[in-house]
Amino acid sequence: MTVKDPLQTNASPPDASGSLVSAEMAAVREKARRRMLLGRAFTYVVGILLCLWVLVPIWFIASMALTTPETVRGYPKSVLPFIPFSFETMRFFLNSYGIVPGLINSVIVAAITLALSTLIAAPAGYAISRYLFKGRDAFRLSILAVRAFPVVILSIPLAVTFISLGIYDKIYSLALMHTALTLPTTILVIGSVFASIPYELEEAAQVFGCTPVQAFRRVVLPLVLPGIAAAAVFTFVMSWNEVFAATVLTVQNRTLPAQVLVSLQTSGEPYKFAGGFFMLVPSVIFIFAIRKYLFNMWGQISK
Amino acid sequence: MTTEPAAPVKKGRPKRQWAPYLLILPSLIYLAIFFALPMVRAIRLAVWDETALLTLHEEASARSSSAGVLPQGSQISLLERQGIAVAPDELVGNVLTETWLRIEGQDPEGKPVAGWAPESRIRVRTTDAQGAPTEGTVRTKLGATADPLTSIYAEPRETSDVVGKLDGGASVAIGEQAVLETWFRIEGQSEERTVAGWVPSRALQVYDDVSGRIDRGDTGKFTTVYIERMLNDRFFKPAMGTTLFLMVIIIPVQFILAIIMALVIQARLKFNTIFLAIFAIPLAASDLAVGIVWYSIFTQSGYLNSILQGLGLISSAQPFLTANTRHWIIVAIWLAEVWRATAIVMIIVVSGLQAISQEVLEAAEVFGASLWQRVRHVILPMLKPSLQVALILRTILALQVFAVVIALSGGDVVTVLANETYRQYYELRNFNVAAAYAGFILLLSMITAVFYLRMVRSQEEAGQ
Repeated sequence: MTVKDPLQTNASPPDASGSLVSAEMAAVREKARRRMLLGRAFTYVVGILLCLWVLVPIWFIASMALTTPETVRGYPKSVLPFIPFSFETMRFFLNSYGIVPGLINSVIVAAITLALSTLIAAPAGYAISRYLFKGRDAFRLSILAVRAFPVVILSIPLAVTFISLGIYDKIYSLALMHTALTLPTTILVIGSVFASIPYELEEAAQVFGCTPVQAFRRVVLPLVLPGIAAAAVFTFVMSWNEVFAATVLTVQNRTLPAQVLVSLQTSGEPYKFAGGFFMLVPSVIFIFAIRKYLFNMWGQISK
Repeated sequence: MTTEPAAPVKKGRPKRQWAPYLLILPSLIYLAIFFALPMVRAIRLAVWDETALLTLHEEASARSSSAGVLPQGSQISLLERQGIAVAPDELVGNVLTETWLRIEGQDPEGKPVAGWAPESRIRVRTTDAQGAPTEGTVRTKLGATADPLTSIYAEPRETSDVVGKLDGGASVAIGEQAVLETWFRIEGQSEERTVAGWVPSRALQVYDDVSGRIDRGDTGKFTTVYIERMLNDRFFKPAMGTTLFLMVIIIPVQFILAIIMALVIQARLKFNTIFLAIFAIPLAASDLAVGIVWYSIFTQSGYLNSILQGLGLISSAQPFLTANTRHWIIVAIWLAEVWRATAIVMIIVVSGLQAISQEVLEAAEVFGASLWQRVRHVILPMLKPSLQVALILRTILALQVFAVVIALSGGDVVTVLANETYRQYYELRNFNVAAAYAGFILLLSMITAVFYLRMVRSQEEAGQ
């Protein structure tokens, strides 16, 4: 380590008296304490500035979405929000062509994706966290690789395949694509959720007379369910947000982001802002709901 | 909030070792079908011209042996024609058909004749309620040299046995109908050689009775046409340049911001979890929504102009997102992407920071290292593995930037690779060139992913 040590350079010679040393030490401590307090105040300021950086744009779009369309078209815009407060813009957006069906489609696609992805990923996540088997590392590495890949780009060849199979522009075929997109993340997250439950618990349950299946059902399952639920929520959000594959794989049965994307150029600002806000809200709520699990989600990608 | 410990693995358990394989099987199968296969398909679409060559048959049947091939687009001459029975669902598109009728009548000697005749030889006189012909007469043949009698065949094709002959004008009862695809015996030039053989009408574009052109082949051939078309596309270079430029300006800023955020979290302030949750909000935000959010700031009647005018810095609203202010669009995309994707880097850095032992950090602080010294000499070196992974993840994700660009530029003034893939697919309906774009993005990602994998592996080895 190449840290310069001020104590070493400032320290008095070893033959100096004890009182001198302690006085000097006290001064150094006082200095360090003051610096720490200053540092904490500085950290608060930086933290609050960064929070503003994240929150102010959301504030802007929210105040645009929750006002009258006339205000949205007006200029200059008031930085003060919600004047006047009104659901008029949101109502206009929700009544626009294709929005309500798109909303329903989005929810259906995300729900199918959630169910399929969790069902397929849970056993795999259990396997990589509980078993030491030949090929485990290879499996984990390939999951990591797929996780990093631009999977949505594959919607081009999938579209060609779906057309030839006659399942193009179907809600469930988009859900199949989204499942491929979310599966690697879900496997890794569920794996880390299982890994956080010590195997000893399962063993103890077996010592006390549970069969392996019972031990899993009565001991492990209640402990991992919240984590798996958080993973499922995140799967839902990923599918809800996805726009490239949704636009490529659907024509009539648009999801909400796809519908907004294709009508973006031809629509006015009230539509855009209300749409942006509407898509943003669930994400913000979800992040707060699953914030405890954020590190299970993403932290372990680097491990 | 704890960092995840190394996976506790069931050690030994010699029996039931098939269990883990059974557990990972569904995901393996799923990823094979929806990840590996499409990837192969994308590459195939990009370099394989599926309709490059047309096989010519010795006889008018798809099963007969090949007499040679002709490339798509060849000019050909038509020598003969013949109807061939095919499945009814194949009789769509640009298929030429001929209809044969099953008829019953009496020949000139009064003998009953039943068999098939082409529709062109029968004049239909009456039809039933559904419009199906029921009765008709045999057409009279014109010309002095022609055989005045019309041949009736055992089956609906001219090569089958003749069961009888009918005179012109003889009245017949019409039974069922058969719709046949017309096959042509064609002749064309391929590599200085003349090739002749039978082909179905669906592969041809017929000009007149004697000439035509090969419309689509049935055999594939390796081709670089699509890749060349991608490379020569007028949007390719701008898209490529913008994608790389955005990557270069976005990623460093993201990393600096993410490290600052992580240091704030690491300082364990009072409202730590609130700070973390707020910093993480953009993690779940849809890229289209983020694009629209920043559009509301940069549009001409948007917040930026409102604030600048409110402060008296400008006298009237400035246009930012127009074709003449390309640089402002780039700035808007830059801010939007930094806003959106810093969160994931932050999470990776925070979990990497938590793996650094607290004692090391405290020791550095106690010994009076300044913040900059601690960051430069303690934190950054120890964070290196996490930063590398975050860097590669971000690089690959940056290749996919799409909706933010569409929302802020409409996709014309400023364009990126993913947008060009979409344009080729959606607007130009050019699946092969779209696949070439997709393959190009895959290639760039693959190069990055190889580094990624090697790094993860060397880290795991170092960790053991």
